[in-house]
Amino acid sequence: MPFKNSDWLPSYEELEVQEIEMSTPVLRAGAHHFGKYCDNQSKEFMLCYQETKDPRKCLQEGKQVTKCGLDFFRKVKQHCAAEFTEYWQCLDHSSFDMAYKNCRKPQAKFDECIKTNLGQERPEAGYFAKVRVHKTNRPKPERIVPLPERVPGPEDIDRTKPAPESVKTGSRLFWF
Amino acid sequence: MASNFRQDMPPPGGYSGIEWARRAPRRGFGGYATFGIYAGISVVGLTLHYFSLQNRKKDELEMREGRIAIHPLILAERQRMFLKQLRKNRDEENELMKSVPGWETGTLWGEPVYHNLVDRFPWVNPEEYFAHASPKDMYDRIYEKRHH
Repeated sequence: MPFKNSDWLPSYEELEVQEIEMSTPVLRAGAHHFGKYCDNQSKEFMLCYQETKDPRKCLQEGKQVTKCGLDFFRKVKQHCAAEFTEYWQCLDHSSFDMAYKNCRKPQAKFDECIKTNLGQERPEAGYFAKVRVHKTNRPKPERIVPLPERVPGPEDIDRTKPAPESVKTGSRLFWF
Repeated sequence: MASNFRQDMPPPGGYSGIEWARRAPRRGFGGYATFGIYAGISVVGLTLHYFSLQNRKKDELEMREGRIAIHPLILAERQRMFLKQLRKNRDEENELMKSVPGWETGTLWGEPVYHNLVDRFPWVNPEEYFAHASPKDMYDRIYEKRHH
């Protein structure tokens, strides 16, 4: 256990949020629209984790992502429950890897419903796979490493000065 | 008897030639035709292959994008679970070792696991993470024996 009692670990209360208790086909069916709906929160969270490499420091961002996901799936349930259910059941039952390619018709119906109710188009192919630049107001995390004072190295020696008298072999100025 | 002797001779005009060569009908295509058919089939096949590959790449891209889109959600939940378990482990160690004098949680008799001056998030050994689970569970988790 690499954590001492003095090390900070978040308490249970800080870690307790309402989770999205849904299985793979549902999450997979809603993935693209979720990704676009919660684009900002997702990018913020991933950037935070990428910068800090520390799950403890990205708890708030992660909670925002989960909150946004809950919000999205609630809206889907409210407006497009029938279409969404048809779509994820199609994904679940059509192939072993829940491929999207087998369910174009329910997908089109679901997209239509999302467009009319949430006003959001399905992101174009390649939207999530390409690099998405994110602008944030969160300050860049600093890592101040306590290092000892720098000792003088060979680059501090002035080599252009002529050799002192005591050096019998002459100047060691490197000129070529 | 001698007057009746008559030499047996070849028929007038001689024997016909012996048919020693195999006279099979020429079947199949000639050289140019063979190469032409090969090239034609290859072009058609490669073209079809190209378009099917484009389609497959598109489908795979969509699958991958679905995973990328949902990853922050999964990761956030997973990190919370991970931190919760770390907290549980530390509380368990405190409870377990409270009767041992001189034991400090997270250290081996005062020596910490990592030299960690800037409070980086350390690597948690799976053996330590699953230390309070049964050995069977630990084995299953570490060597990915469970479907998940």
